[in-house]
This record gives sequence, C-alpha cells and structure tokens, in this order.
Amino acid sequence: MTDGLVRVLEGNTFVVSDKRGDIEASATDPTGLFSFDTRFLSRWVLTVNGQRLNPLSVDDLHYFEARFFLVPGTGTVYVDAKLSVIRVRAVGDGFHEELTILNHEDKPVDLQVRIDASSDFADLFEVKDALEKKGTYRNRIERGRLVLGYQRETYQRATLISATSPAEIDDGGLTFPVRIEPHGQWRTELQVVTDMGALEAALPDTRGRPSMARGLQKWVGKAPQLESSLESLKATYQRSIVDLAALRFSPALAAGDSLPAAGLPWFMTMFGRDSIFTSLQALPFMPELAATTLRVLGAWQGSRVDDFRDEDPGRILHEMRYGEMTAFEDRPHSPYYGSADATPLYVVLMDEYERWTGDSKLVRDFEPQARAALNWIGEYADLQGNGYVSYKRRNEETGLENQCWKDSGDSISYHDGTLPGFPRATCELQGYAYDAKVRGARLARRFWHDPEFAGKLEKEAADLKRRFNRGFWVKNRGYFAIALDTDGRQVDSLTSNIGHLLWSGIVEKSKARSVVRHLMSAQLFSGWGVRTLAEGEGRYNPIGYHVGTVWPFDNSIIAWGLRKYGFKEEAARIADGILGAAQYFDGCLPEAFGGYPRQMTKYPVQYPTACSPQAWSTGAPLLLLRAVLGLEPVGDNLVVDPALPVSAGWLELLDIPGRWGRIDAFGRSRRRP
Amino acid sequence: MTATGRIINPRTAPDPVGEFFYRLAERGPEPLLANVSGTLRFDLLDGERVEHWYLTIKNGHVAVSHDDADADAVVRTAKALFEGMTAGRVNAMAAALRGTLVPRGNLTLVVSFQRLFPGPATSRAHAGPGSDEGSTR
Repeated sequence: MTDGLVRVLEGNTFVVSDKRGDIEASATDPTGLFSFDTRFLSRWVLTVNGQRLNPLSVDDLHYFEARFFLVPGTGTVYVDAKLSVIRVRAVGDGFHEELTILNHEDKPVDLQVRIDASSDFADLFEVKDALEKKGTYRNRIERGRLVLGYQRETYQRATLISATSPAEIDDGGLTFPVRIEPHGQWRTELQVVTDMGALEAALPDTRGRPSMARGLQKWVGKAPQLESSLESLKATYQRSIVDLAALRFSPALAAGDSLPAAGLPWFMTMFGRDSIFTSLQALPFMPELAATTLRVLGAWQGSRVDDFRDEDPGRILHEMRYGEMTAFEDRPHSPYYGSADATPLYVVLMDEYERWTGDSKLVRDFEPQARAALNWIGEYADLQGNGYVSYKRRNEETGLENQCWKDSGDSISYHDGTLPGFPRATCELQGYAYDAKVRGARLARRFWHDPEFAGKLEKEAADLKRRFNRGFWVKNRGYFAIALDTDGRQVDSLTSNIGHLLWSGIVEKSKARSVVRHLMSAQLFSGWGVRTLAEGEGRYNPIGYHVGTVWPFDNSIIAWGLRKYGFKEEAARIADGILGAAQYFDGCLPEAFGGYPRQMTKYPVQYPTACSPQAWSTGAPLLLLRAVLGLEPVGDNLVVDPALPVSAGWLELLDIPGRWGRIDAFGRSRRRP
Repeated sequence: MTATGRIINPRTAPDPVGEFFYRLAERGPEPLLANVSGTLRFDLLDGERVEHWYLTIKNGHVAVSHDDADADAVVRTAKALFEGMTAGRVNAMAAALRGTLVPRGNLTLVVSFQRLFPGPATSRAHAGPGSDEGSTR
C-alpha cells in the first residue's frame, strides 16, 4: 500500500483506514467503511486514555482481514511501550473488530479505552465530488447499541455498532472503563453492521455462510496449478488467482454466485465491459465467472428507450450503483447503459463460454438476450445509418461522452492531436460487432436451430468486414484508423486499438502483417507492452491515461489477437513484457503504467492514479498464459500449441477445466540459437 | 389488516394498473420473460387498502389473478408509484434504492419483470431504424 492506507474488503463492502486502523474522513477523503456505494463510517478512531496510538506493523492477513499492532503515544522517535494494542479487522456485512490490549507491566493499569464513531453517509460519487447532503442525521442509543442514522424521505441508511464488553455509549462513540492486571490482557469485540433500510428485505441472508478463509482456500484449490521454471511467473499467477477472489462480487439476484467487479476499492460493482473482459480472460481458469456474468447482465439487459440512462432495447448495462445519488436520480446508474461495446461483447462471451464449457443450456436459456443484443447492433447502434456502430450519449449532463474502453476526453484524436465530434465510430467497436455476428451465427445454427438467422448474420459480418477494410484502412500508413468521424473521415492516429481488431478477426489476411509491424514498432511497443497511443502522434504522452500508457488488459487482448493470426513470436514478446513488468508490482499489475521506452526506465513506471487491483489487469496474466500456451478449444478437445517467450523456460498448467473434463498443458521455450 | 382488491373487469375498468396487468396476460409470449418462471405477487398500497396481484409467469406467458397463492417473489409499493412505472414516469430500481418499492424473494423474477415497464414518454432513440419505435414497446 504505497499511499499508507490499509484496505480490507468483501464484495462491495470495504474499509479504508490509516495504518493505525483509524478512519478520519473529510468530505473528499476516500477513507471509511463503504458498502453499496455508501460510506457507513467516516470516523472510527481508537484512543487509550485520550491518546492516539502509534502503528508498529500491519499484517494484511487476507484481502478481507488485517491485523494492526499498535502502542500508545505518537510523534516521538522513542515509544515507551508498556501497553500493546492489537486490532484484528475482518469485513463482512460491515466489519468485525477484535480489540486486545496487553499490559506489559508488573502492576495493574486502569485505562479509558474509547472508540469515536460517526458517519456522513456520503455517496461514493459525493466523496469524489464533495457534494452537500440533503437528508438529516440522527444518532441514537438503542438496545445497547449505538445507531448512526441518515434519512432523506423514504431513503434510510444506518450503521449499528455494538461491543461484547460493557461500554458507556454516547451518540459519538463507545467508552470502555478497563482495568488490566499485571501482564494481563483485556479483549473486546466490536461489531459494525450496515443497514440499507427497506432494501434489507431484498438482500440475501448471509448468516451461517461458510467462513471467508475457507471460501478463499476452496477458490484457490479449484484453479488450475501452474508449474514453471520461473518463480516470478508462479508468484504472479498465484497473486492473480487470489486477487480475482477479492474482486468477486455477488449481486443480490445471482443467488450467491459471483462475477468479477471492475476494481478495488471504488469499482466494486457490475460493469458490463469490465465484467465481460475479465470473464473472457479467466475462462480457462474459472469458467463459472463467465456464467454468472452472462446471467446477471442478461437479466438487466435494456428493454426500453430511456435517455437519462442511455438505455435501448437489447443494450447491455455499463455500470450499476446503489448510492443515494443514484436513488434520487442525480446519477443515472440504476443501471446506466452508456457503453457501445458491452453489447456485442456479451455475445462474444456467450459463444466463447460455450466453446470452453459445453454448457449449451445457458446458450439456449439466454437465446432471447443474445438475439436482442445482436438486434441492438443493427437497430440502435448504427447512429449514422452507415452500417457502423457508433456512440453519442443522450444524457448530456451525467452520461458518458466516450462509450468505448478508452473513455477519457482526449483518447480519440487525429494524428495532429485534434479531437473529432460525435457520434464516433471507433474501430474496435466494428471488430466486436463483426465477431458478435460471426459467433452469433454459430450459436443460431448449432443451438437455436435457426439456420436462416445464421445465414443473415454471416452475410452481415462478411459485408461489414469488406466495408471496414476499405473505410478504416489508412492507406499511406498501412494500419486502421482509430475511428471514423461524423463526416466519415478517418481519425488517423496510430493506436493499440488495431490489436483488438486482430482478436476480433475483422482484419483481412493481406493486411495483418502490416498491422503487426505497427504493433511491434518502436512507436507502439515500449518493450514492456503496446502503448495506447503511438509515440509521434499529436497527443502522445507516456503518462497520459489513454494517450501513451501501457494497459496490461489491452495487451492481453492484443496477444490473443496475434495468436489468432499466427503471429506466435510477437504474442510471446508481449507476454514476456507484461509478465516481466508484473514482477515489479509484486504480481499485481496496475490498470496502466508509463509508456516510457523499457531501456530508458529499466522498470515500469506506475501511472499516478491507477486503481489496483483492477479486474482486467488481474485477468491479463491469465489470458497471456493462454496465449503463450496456445490454448484453443476445438470441438470437444483442447488444442495446446505453445510458443513461449525465451525467458519463460518451461511451464505447465495442470487441471485446465472445460468440456473435456480436466486437461494439462505443457510448454517449453525454444533456446536462442 | 389487508383487504384483497376486488376483481376488476379489464374491459370496463379505468384502472391503468389493472389494464397493464391484463394486457400482459392477453398478449402472446413475451420474449423478455422467456427465461424466467414463477409467481410474482404485487402488494399495491392504496390508502388503507392493499391490492394483491398474482402474476404467474411460464414460458413467457403471464396469468393474472387475485387469488391467494404461494409467491416466489413479492413486491410492495404504493399503487400510485406503480402506476407511474406502468407509464414510464418512475424507474423501479431507483425506487427500490429509495426504499419506496420493497422487493423480496426471487429477485431475478423481479428484475426481469421491471423490464416490461416502458421508458419515459419523452425519450427517443437516436437516428437509425430504432428511432421510430420511441419509448413504448
């Protein structure tokens, strides 16, 4: 934790505190106990005899549990430790904190132990933007508990605080009069429970669920095992599996199953794009994530035209939020649908999921959703009537301007750095649409018994591919434009998006070599990975969010694309760079890192505000392993066609789950001559 | 005490809620409900009265009744608010977050059902073939 903050979490409940375990949030400060996008504690401060404590060490036991070792006194070099204080905090329906104080003296001590508690019940969006609250606060003492309450009309949220030892409770906290015998100890357990008001009735009852430690053990045990001559690779793999466990999110309607949320801690919610990409990356390892993603996103699929939410029939959601601003429609996330890629990617995931698992039931059950998604591409996403998917928000106030994965304001630019208007038809969207049609045709023919629809989709796909390879091809430079603008003019900068096109299969064979040459050129390839925007483009900046940084997720898709077109060695080079970079982040790849040339910095430079771990960065090593091992389901078999980077030595992936049961894959790198 | 609402004749009733339910029952299989099944009970509060509506969904078909039955999910809300949902003025999920609509039981059934509510009357899709449809399905 480079920022000095300690995070523990479970699903969408998390606690961010300082190294003492204390929370002292200001309006804009992102510390506190959060659940369902609401801050349930903004102050949680432990004092002993009115004194703050000093941290000796913090153990991150698991992602859901941390232990703080503390002593009284602050600010001086020398700490006279006659007392030790240990806080063990575990998250789950709020959190549980075990507080132990040890007396190291040979005489008894009398202490006043106090926990200050209060909450501003801020919406996550408010924490980011520092907005005013509209409801009223009411703290009360009820049945031996301190209840912090907030109400705005029928919207009610509360935090319930109780302890196992006798305490004097006032509306600002709990005080414990404590006497500890010589070399004795005192212990209490604090329980902090979040209450969602009327909505509690809808939430699943989590009492009596198996312990989280056991759940994590089971999760890790179920994943394939990686053996390798490269210790760092094994460590990165283990880290990815554990981080993916932490990133699991169980929406109320998934009945205990989970899907990947987008990132810790601020994005612990369903995101169409992130949940789909991460499920795709994790398919060879944890196929059940994809099943839940398909089910839940399918249940929430758009069904009507709603400008505020940028919803259309058939559209897959972009983001779901549960806070006060969403409840009162100051924000459109109930859910918000403004994403142009999640819908075609939904069909891509469904097909890929069936190819791995053979779960034809899901494909048949969700035929209406897949059809509606395919229909959305032609009926609602072709904003310009030119046969291309493009996007333009209808919610001009709080909707998203950029509805593709590069969603920052300056991510889509011409070579000279100027920005196009809206609608924008970015190139990767056409690739996803093409792939969705091709895969949809397979599903229609094989599972929906509708060869006519399959034929129609295939014809549309072929037509789209032909037109795309003419319309987006920047002739004089030999790659695909990042977008077409409103006049049908090419937005001609060189970007990583062209790698996604290989993955989708929309690139004509004759053009692939030129695309690959650009991807591996010094302009795009930093040595660690492919930059979002090429050096030499008007807006290039090695630490610009989408205009020069390297995104591990992006690179994992590109490596998969390179494999699809037979460029094994290039895929291995990208895997080598990204997996090599992972070592410098203890196996936990950030969302993005600097695009500086590798030989200049020697180590990857972290992007300043990248959130970590982030689901699709965590999934990147998994997909890269798939790419270098050349894992591809063909019929009922798994084909293994390894092409490892030289640095990898050998690697073995054991018990890969799929329609074949469990299978092992083995690969050895070719030595340099 | 709750009182079961009287049976409303769909042909003569000016009640938009009854009309919404009976129209669902009359139209053919609804693709939006194709992959859910079960009984959904709506408890609609109208002053002192509570109307109970049972919707049994199977293979996209909806049967409507006021007769007591076991329900897989229950949705409790004010009738006026529900009327707003059937007219595209109120969003069900936002209402649930505000605590004015209380769902319990099988939430997949509830989430699937709310997809049948129309969007706001003023919302229009962008240009392209979809735009002619406007907000009502």
